Amino acid sequence: MTTSDSEEDSYDERSALMSAETPPVPSYQPEQSDPDPSAQGPVLRRAKSSERGPGPEAELDEEEELTLKYGAKHVIMLFIPVTLCMVVVVATIKSIGFYTEKTNQRLIYTPFSEDEVSVGRRLLNSFLNSIVMISVIVVMTIFLVMLYKYRCYKFIHGWLILSSLMLLFWFSYLYLGELFKNYNLAMDFPTVGVLIWNFGAVGMICIHWKGPLQLQQAYLIIISALMALVFIKYLPEWSTWVILGAISIYDLVAVLSPKGPLRMLVETAQERNEPIFPALIYSSGMAWMVGMANPAEERRQQSDAEAQEAGGSLEAEDSPDPSAGAQRGCPSGEDQEEESGVKLGLGDFIFYSVLVGKAAATGGDWNTTLACFVAILIGLCLTLLLLAIFKKALPALPISIAFGLVFYFSTDYLVQPFMDNLATNQYYI
Amino acid sequence: MNLERVSNEEKLGLCRKYYLGGYAFLPFLWLVNVVWFFQEAFIKPAYTEQLQIKAYVKWSGLGLAIWVAVLTTWITIYQHYRAQWGEVGDYLSFTIPLGIP
Repeated sequence: MTTSDSEEDSYDERSALMSAETPPVPSYQPEQSDPDPSAQGPVLRRAKSSERGPGPEAELDEEEELTLKYGAKHVIMLFIPVTLCMVVVVATIKSIGFYTEKTNQRLIYTPFSEDEVSVGRRLLNSFLNSIVMISVIVVMTIFLVMLYKYRCYKFIHGWLILSSLMLLFWFSYLYLGELFKNYNLAMDFPTVGVLIWNFGAVGMICIHWKGPLQLQQAYLIIISALMALVFIKYLPEWSTWVILGAISIYDLVAVLSPKGPLRMLVETAQERNEPIFPALIYSSGMAWMVGMANPAEERRQQSDAEAQEAGGSLEAEDSPDPSAGAQRGCPSGEDQEEESGVKLGLGDFIFYSVLVGKAAATGGDWNTTLACFVAILIGLCLTLLLLAIFKKALPALPISIAFGLVFYFSTDYLVQPFMDNLATNQYYI
Repeated sequence: MNLERVSNEEKLGLCRKYYLGGYAFLPFLWLVNVVWFFQEAFIKPAYTEQLQIKAYVKWSGLGLAIWVAVLTTWITIYQHYRAQWGEVGDYLSFTIPLGIP
């Protein structure tokens, strides 16, 4: 079973979205073997669909129709966690000043400062920063893929455990401290100790071992939000935008090109029939379709290959290892039990939240934030649609980030002044 | 993970491990145990391991109640008397509110 037991952070590099395939399940056969009424049906529908092209309502074959039907449900199943993550990040940014304070500290991944006078120099520095960051990410990803290829599982597990330890304990401790300071509450060390210890330990158990699915999903969302907040605080402004763009391009390349590291990871995992480290992937709910066999007796391991995400964890001040987010849906297994659920890499969560959070922190007002939010959801929707059509691992970052960036800049610089002018001059359209 | 797909022995093992883990100052683990296995223990029709699972859930619930009582008492005492404790109060404090109450 693909319980996510593994580490969480896998942000960056690749976000591959993989669809859950509709299995040709025995339970569907009655519908499919419906001869007469649907005999003309499929022909008509196919003709219609060829005119309209693939779309959510396109009625292709029964199988593909089932796949697309799943698509709608899965879209909702992914909208909710992505929305939650972004809501947490935006709420924190808007209420707690700490994450938007100017700081001279920078991550070692963005060594070039942006305190330059001239625009050209600042732009150059942000491009250089993004080159440094992306190359670190590429190196880390390739390192992880090598480790995976040569079966150094212990190393990978240790790395992931260390990174999730840091996230769950240290970052949440800092977050809690800022929260209390912001609301001017007194809190004592023993209580804080108990709180953080409980939060962290149960998080480790849920993510790396076994735990209730919803709790695990909640923890993955929380750590993605924490990571996104760290990024928002410590990445300089212009560099953030350039990095977002660059990482989407990298994601595209890494997942789709034949020699891309993420694709190699996916294929290796598929060859070995192993699940990818679940801690790096968010898996939306599971719908188990049981065939004839008794599940208790014949529970078999998922023969679905699941994409594994290479990821490392990012540490704020010391030496973050960028983690890749890969998203994968799990193809349905042939045998008795199949799990149908879409998986989205944590990196995707993190970068979506970084985009929306940065828009909330530096953009004009709520217009910009909402526009970016809507853009990302639309991008996610389109990506899932493509996933339903292509049925293989896809990068989830490019479309959403592209839309998000376009919407951010256009809203901030075009729509916002337009609306303000309209309001000032009392002109209603 | 989904409890539906897991055998009864594994459920028992899981419940037991969560119960034992809670002794490491982890009342949250006990809470998760109670919530997660509540349906298994009390609502589902009986099966062999259910008695033991029920016992674990009950003891987890008891432990959780004790922890909640202790924490609530301590937090109340601390919030009320913090200012009066002077130096000890500051030493215990993670964050100290600013301004005059």
